[in-house]
Amino acid sequence: MVLLNEVPEPERTVIAGLDLPRFEKTPFTPAAVPARRRVALLSSAGLILRGERPLLARDAGYRELPADTAEGDILCSHVSTNFDRTGFQQDLNVVLPRDRLRELAEAGDIGAAADTHYAFMGATDPAALADKAHELGGKLLALGVNTVVLAPV
Amino acid sequence: MSALAHYLEGDGLATTLVALVREHALAMRPPRALWVPFELGRPFGAPGNAAQQARVLRAALALLDRPGPGPLLEDFADADASPADDPDWRFAAALDADDVIAEARVLEELWRVASGQRGFTTVGISGFSPRAAVEFIARYFDDEPMPNPAGMARVSRARYAIDDIKAAYLETAALLGGHPSSRQLLDWFWETTRAGALLRDFNERAYRSEDRNLRLISGSLVPAERSIRFRGR
Repeated sequence: MVLLNEVPEPERTVIAGLDLPRFEKTPFTPAAVPARRRVALLSSAGLILRGERPLLARDAGYRELPADTAEGDILCSHVSTNFDRTGFQQDLNVVLPRDRLRELAEAGDIGAAADTHYAFMGATDPAALADKAHELGGKLLALGVNTVVLAPV
Repeated sequence: MSALAHYLEGDGLATTLVALVREHALAMRPPRALWVPFELGRPFGAPGNAAQQARVLRAALALLDRPGPGPLLEDFADADASPADDPDWRFAAALDADDVIAEARVLEELWRVASGQRGFTTVGISGFSPRAAVEFIARYFDDEPMPNPAGMARVSRARYAIDDIKAAYLETAALLGGHPSSRQLLDWFWETTRAGALLRDFNERAYRSEDRNLRLISGSLVPAERSIRFRGR
């Protein structure tokens, strides 16, 4: 259970003390009906393709992960050791559930899974990610993606 | 991730977030968030549990059917949230060796067979084999260290070599059988293997080093909770 009082020290203090950006308002985009949803996954696990330069600690960039990439060709370059990686090492779907998403598309529960999924470095200051996030947003809309499932680690 | 949800939603995308730290989601008020009761690093639940992963994904997507405005925050209830230890689990091979290089040689053979049978590995970010990664770290502070291949600074190579050592050992331990929890796997690695002892020692030397870059990576090698525990011994 990940309530802050259940996270071991010193990580609890680190998480509790993070300088989180504050947002005055919460934007809200009405979702498409399920059959018209084209869904991409976005992870903060610092995932990269095998052979790519790892994402660094304060990296504001993101990486593209084609949905048909072989499981062993997606590696984790996250800087933190304070989250479990043994789950990822056994099953990519623990952090990037691309197989589950494809199954939902095959069952007709969503319109389609995106052809590419994405990853940022979760250790980067969220405010520093704004420009690249907006760049990614524009790219997704141009690709016909209208829905994003975000998953931290 | 909540900030990314704000940015993307503002661009016209509908987002739904799987949140691990409930307090962060409450503070940052993303448009839609499903709080899940899993350990950090496992937003969609347990490895190999496709039914659980699908339940989480469906629940996150179901938030998209709710009328706005946000923030919409919902808790995900799952009786299978905290997998217990496997009381019968043991590392299912002999790793007996006189030194860490010999241990790594044995481990590498086990890793090759196990990951070959599975069809993939998560080892490979440093460019070293597991045994070479161990040797690189074991000789790092020697007068004649192992050469650093071109393309990456030596200190960065050390950090990623350590990632690969951990991945190779932990991946192999999980592949050899049983249903160990993450705690069991990490206890085994950090408390019983020569590689775990090597990394603990390397971490301490990096932490106390006059080399600023080594000090910087020392926070990315050993889980903080264990690092403090080791220092207290």
